[in-house]
Amino acid sequence: MKNDTPNRREFIKAGSTAAVAASTLSFPTVTFGKPDSRKLKIGFIGCGGRGTGAANQALAADSNVELWAMGEVSEARLKSSLTNISKRKPGMVNVDKKRQFIGLDAYKKVLDSGVDLVILTTPPGFRPLHFKAAVEAGKHIFLEKPMATDAPGLRSVMESYKLAEKKGLAVVAGFCWRYDPGRREFFKRIADGAIGDVQSMYATYYTGPVKPMPPDNKRDEEWSDIEWQVRNWYNFAWCGGDGLVEQAVHSVDKISWLFGDVPPHSCVAVGGRQRPNNSGNIWDHIEVNYLFDQGARGFLGQRQIPGCHGENNDYIHGTKGRAQIGGGLIITGKDAIKGETNNWTYNPNGDLWRYTGPGGNMYQIEHDELFASIRDGHPINNGARMCNATMMALMGRIAGYTGKQVTWDMALNSKQDLFPKDQNWETGKHTPPAEAIPGTKEAIAPHGWA
Amino acid sequence: MSKHTDSTRRDFIKASTATAGAAAIAFPNVTFGKPNSAKLKIGWIGCGGRGSGAINQALAADSNIELHAIGEAFQDKAEAGLERIKKYHPGKISESVKKRMFVGIDAYQKVIDSGVDVVLLATPPGFRPQHIKAAVDAGKHVFAEKPMATDAPGVQSVMQSIEKAKKQGTSIVDGFVWRWTYAQRDTYEKILGGDLGDLQAIYSSYNNNARKRYVDWNRENTKTDVEYMLRRWYYFTWLSGDHIVEQAVHSIDKMLWAKNDEVPAYAVANGGRQNRGEEEGNIYDHFGVEFAWADGTQGYHFSRQMDNCENGVWDRVYGSKGKYTGESGRKLHVFSNKDGLMWRWNAGPNGERSNNGYQTEHDEMYAAIRDGKPLNTGERMIKTTLTAMMARTAAYTGKKVTKEMMLNSKEQLVPDKISFDMQFPPRAVRHAGRDEAIKPHGWS
Repeated sequence: MKNDTPNRREFIKAGSTAAVAASTLSFPTVTFGKPDSRKLKIGFIGCGGRGTGAANQALAADSNVELWAMGEVSEARLKSSLTNISKRKPGMVNVDKKRQFIGLDAYKKVLDSGVDLVILTTPPGFRPLHFKAAVEAGKHIFLEKPMATDAPGLRSVMESYKLAEKKGLAVVAGFCWRYDPGRREFFKRIADGAIGDVQSMYATYYTGPVKPMPPDNKRDEEWSDIEWQVRNWYNFAWCGGDGLVEQAVHSVDKISWLFGDVPPHSCVAVGGRQRPNNSGNIWDHIEVNYLFDQGARGFLGQRQIPGCHGENNDYIHGTKGRAQIGGGLIITGKDAIKGETNNWTYNPNGDLWRYTGPGGNMYQIEHDELFASIRDGHPINNGARMCNATMMALMGRIAGYTGKQVTWDMALNSKQDLFPKDQNWETGKHTPPAEAIPGTKEAIAPHGWA
Repeated sequence: MSKHTDSTRRDFIKASTATAGAAAIAFPNVTFGKPNSAKLKIGWIGCGGRGSGAINQALAADSNIELHAIGEAFQDKAEAGLERIKKYHPGKISESVKKRMFVGIDAYQKVIDSGVDVVLLATPPGFRPQHIKAAVDAGKHVFAEKPMATDAPGVQSVMQSIEKAKKQGTSIVDGFVWRWTYAQRDTYEKILGGDLGDLQAIYSSYNNNARKRYVDWNRENTKTDVEYMLRRWYYFTWLSGDHIVEQAVHSIDKMLWAKNDEVPAYAVANGGRQNRGEEEGNIYDHFGVEFAWADGTQGYHFSRQMDNCENGVWDRVYGSKGKYTGESGRKLHVFSNKDGLMWRWNAGPNGERSNNGYQTEHDEMYAAIRDGKPLNTGERMIKTTLTAMMARTAAYTGKKVTKEMMLNSKEQLVPDKISFDMQFPPRAVRHAGRDEAIKPHGWS
């Protein structure tokens, strides 16, 4: 492995450093390393449903904050979001008309408007660009998952989070389960050995379609390729990342969590599309098989097809017991009952742990902890693990799309750059690659593998 | 682990239908209950590639044996098959075999009626239930290539035939070749004996090339739907069962072996067709499956037939004491844990544990007949077939498919009566979640 290319070893190091730092609470002194009680101005970029939720949560997380600027490609969406937030948080919204920015470059204007913290919740294809600009501008950041839709984007995000670390900026990622009290306890117990050595995890994300692609005749003549694709962002790998990368990445993140945020060696995946999706190029199902140290495996099943079995559970097997997320958070040791009909029925009198602690809204907790960390001068940086989880999802997609067994370093150093060069809202031209057919040159060559 | 085969078997039979028992009750004892040294006449039904291999091995398995009759849907394949086998076993072909070379869809019955003792069933698996039934009803010993059926009514039929064969003491021997291979027997004996502790998860992959088949046959040079599909049988689910039931079933068979032949409680699966052409019928080219057993063991299976992709045929079993890694083709079988190597299979000082399972399956079958204790491996072969079918159906429908749902599925893919001139247009590719895929099963 050449020194100038990112590789797995570096991730392992980054993961362990972060883990140590987090567990001992001894952050280095940084520029921002002292308590901060100023009023914090929030910039909000990407005002869709999840973004609006995040903005509301940010305003609920701290008493001395205000929403200061907003950026969107759609004026209507910005207005609707602003109305929603103004109703919920009257007195905390101060978004003058002059600071309501519309267009693909709105993010720059928000960053230049005098904000202290930005919420990055546009479609994920833009995340690396926005994240980089925000870090360079010295802003604290909340960014939604996933962090990128291709490897070049992810590599940029890696550089940015490291720069953020140097600058002492907060980087909190919207991998919300990490902020759920129950799951924290659950994964901690497993890390402490509750089920012995982890051997396998099976994570399911079987749902319906998210935002199906409309037919071409719904396209307004005025719309450029870019506008059409951004309006239907979920259906283009460059913009949404694919269902695996955009949504099932939550489950990928739990696999990453379970395995200590150490990258898998490689993965193999099968998948495809069953239902035609007009001009969109993402798949509607994939099954990924990740290989970790000691031969342990992470399996992920994802599907977005209506009328099918739905499930969003996690099943973990260890040498001394099992654990599941689904029907509660449950860990059993050897005395698990041999259930007759439900394979995860346990003996309630046996060696069983079930989470009964406080609940709490993880979306709120993300922001509570983000602002608290800024206030006490130890800004959180989720950079290493958010890159690990996003990269895992990307490598799963790459393995599926190409049909190849993909190592971490192959995926991480992939040259496939999906982001359109012509970023002009009015005229931008971009023909995305067709839906991937595994084993074909079209699917494989862009990665630049020898 | 402690679950005994018998109780599992009873559950399995009970779960099917009440008729299985009824059909099996009153069958007369036949003459096969004692050592047999007579010349055994073989009827060979289905003269394709695997069938040609199987007849070659059958004829090598016993000294007092001959090829007595041949059945094939197509004349050209019957003749080519005979020419091939003549080269290998010139002394074991009946001089008058040509008189008993039957061609057509009903050829199997003529072979069975021609005075044979044993039939070797190697047609496309869609026909297997019907052929097994006819052979068992006629009191013949049966060697049946895997899989045993392509739909649930076929499974039910085979289950009844298995019981009947058991009652009358005739052989049913399967072509799940790894069951007959010493390396696998050594390995799974250890797994079932507890060397890996309690099983937690099982993983297998059967990722392979697409291999373009039947390039010489198309709509133009075949006259009817049935002829077209028979010439290109692999690509049609009713005939082959799809590649997960026809080929990757070998891996699923090993998963069941590790679980002492217990059918999983349910399967959840993804699958589809990403790179098959119009001429490639209605089967999928990839599957990803989760099997869940009643005791919480989970199984993960991947299979793919696509060119220029990762290829791998691996078996892994994870237990509380260690894990098994196997690659059957390379005879690699290793147990390991955190401390390193626990066990590695080897062929023994003189290579005595190295064998060809394709030969051994016939050797053991004929030895058992000679011994007066004919083998009946029907139960496990049908369980494996059913399990593969659960996976396929879970992918085709998008549903979580339980063992009971599959056993009681009403989807009959293979018509009761098949003729070359019947109207039988190829069925469209199934799409998960759609009524066309789900309703025929009779599931609400």
